[in-house]
Amino acid sequence: MTEALLEVQDLHTVFATKAGNVKAVDGVSFEINPGETLGIVGESGSGKSVTALSVMRLQRPGKIISGKVMFKGRDLTKVSEGEMREIRGQDIAMIFQDPMTSMNPVFRTGWQVAEPVRLHHGWDKTRAMGVAVSMLGKVGIPSPASRARDYPHQFSGGMRQRAMIAMGLTTTPKVLIADEPTTALDVTIQAQILDLLRHVNRDFGTATILITHNLGVVAGMCERVVVMYAGRVVESGPTSDVFAHPKHPYTWALLRSIPRLDAERHEALKPIEGLPPDLIDLPSGCAFHPRCQFKVERCSRDVPVLNRVGETQLAACWVTQSGVELKGA
Amino acid sequence: MSLLPAPEVEAPISTFEGEGSRPAQSYWNESWQRLRDNRIGMAAGILILILAAISLAAPLFTQFVTHYEPYRLDLLATFQPPGHAHLLGTDELGRDTLTRLIYGGRVTLGVAFLTVGISLTLGTSVGLVTGYYGGWIDDILMRLVDVVLSIPAIFLFILMSILFRPNPVTLAMIIASVGWGGVARLVRGEVLSVKQRDFIMATRSIGARDVRLIVRHLLPNVLPVLIVAASLGVGQIILIEAALDFLGLGIQPPTASWGNMLTNAESYFFHSTWLVYFPGITIFITVLASNLFGNAIRDAFDPRLKTH
Repeated sequence: MTEALLEVQDLHTVFATKAGNVKAVDGVSFEINPGETLGIVGESGSGKSVTALSVMRLQRPGKIISGKVMFKGRDLTKVSEGEMREIRGQDIAMIFQDPMTSMNPVFRTGWQVAEPVRLHHGWDKTRAMGVAVSMLGKVGIPSPASRARDYPHQFSGGMRQRAMIAMGLTTTPKVLIADEPTTALDVTIQAQILDLLRHVNRDFGTATILITHNLGVVAGMCERVVVMYAGRVVESGPTSDVFAHPKHPYTWALLRSIPRLDAERHEALKPIEGLPPDLIDLPSGCAFHPRCQFKVERCSRDVPVLNRVGETQLAACWVTQSGVELKGA
Repeated sequence: MSLLPAPEVEAPISTFEGEGSRPAQSYWNESWQRLRDNRIGMAAGILILILAAISLAAPLFTQFVTHYEPYRLDLLATFQPPGHAHLLGTDELGRDTLTRLIYGGRVTLGVAFLTVGISLTLGTSVGLVTGYYGGWIDDILMRLVDVVLSIPAIFLFILMSILFRPNPVTLAMIIASVGWGGVARLVRGEVLSVKQRDFIMATRSIGARDVRLIVRHLLPNVLPVLIVAASLGVGQIILIEAALDFLGLGIQPPTASWGNMLTNAESYFFHSTWLVYFPGITIFITVLASNLFGNAIRDAFDPRLKTH
């Protein structure tokens, strides 16, 4: 295996609130290799987005209290704000969930797509605009030269997301973080955007971190997947292995809660009982144990650590680490 | 880099609306069109422009139209009623009222625009910084604004007029020393709402500095509010300035201003009514026009607020 391009080690990000510290990211570790597509899945509030923002150091008002984000031999949690600005948009680019609000309404689309190269390469307007137009064309905006003169409100949601992707790619970054890039789009457009991201990954060699709560998207896009629950990584591994043989009860339950083509007929979907935990006051031990049907006595006592379970996967679960297979009615 | 295939689904869309039967309409273009359609508002705006032009060209105007100088006394022609020689009559020292009105407009409008300029610049800077950064900067500066806005303005004006002998520039600074507070609050509120939008985070994610974010991305988004505040502010400031002049706290005679022309006229009200009417009517029309224009601007920039 090649050396990891970006490595997150035991990252902790908290938000101070009146009610107490919200541990949005509570010891997350993962790495991504060059050219790889990594999925981060989890339900709302599991800390996926805050993890991504912490990598970019955009987690304000949250605070990174410990952990490392290693990129090109540097710890991004330690570098100066100036260095971080150099990295943002040049080495690591980000796409946001809602394309309707992630473009500035007062500027022409081309101007905005050209902004990263103007900032990072200091290119003049004409040259930057040339890149912006060709990039808009590459992400599938028809007649990009005239469309670049349009304002964001003249674009559809899908086109805006394309423009956002174009904006992220103008500087040919090493890593593209896509934070729920398709959640706000309707299904046909979702497929197009995912297709585009796949092309980007292949043609530009950009490593992609795809954050989503949609397991189907992960299955179709990602080589590896990281499953998060309550700010922690509960399982990670190659997508096919994780989906075929989940090693954490949360992943297992999650997969049973969505319909599958290969499932037995008439088999009912099984929701996960209970509610996600309060991030201010996490349950003792494993955060998932109150909802877990495999729990043993140790689960409510000790926080499980992420360890190898099976050939290729890592799971943070006392039960599977002791060799028990996840099966159930 | 290979070309990414353009998805077929969106291709027809491009031929439909992309190829442009309709040119790109910016927010500014649309606002300008709405403003142009507002006839009363446009008339008011044009009136203000004319008044400003006359004031700017005052020396030319008095030389070729009224043939008098604003400070030349003519003790043989005091209290002349409006007529051929003096279109709007003369005052107690025989000075031509129209000439003085034109020169007074220079002072009054000058003070008004300067005041708006100062309070917008200061208020916008404070509003942008406090709204964007929040925290202790916000606390300190906004408490300062609270203090400024809780002092009865008239007492502050009186005090300052005593401390600094008012000329047009100092008078503008005196009035602006209160006016910036309201602008700061307005801008701060707008910034608080704009900065929650994703594009601010997106701009940060491409590595933009705070200064760039504030000046290039936030400022244009609060500009409409500023333009409305400016156009409505002009009328208010003319009234304040006229009041201060009238009380003898503003522009000092012999320099003419619309306000201090009224001060003089008060003594001769029953004797020579035109001395009161003309400056009064001028102030009235100007303030009315700037309020109408301000409303038109507001309607144009924010159609949701449209009142009629």
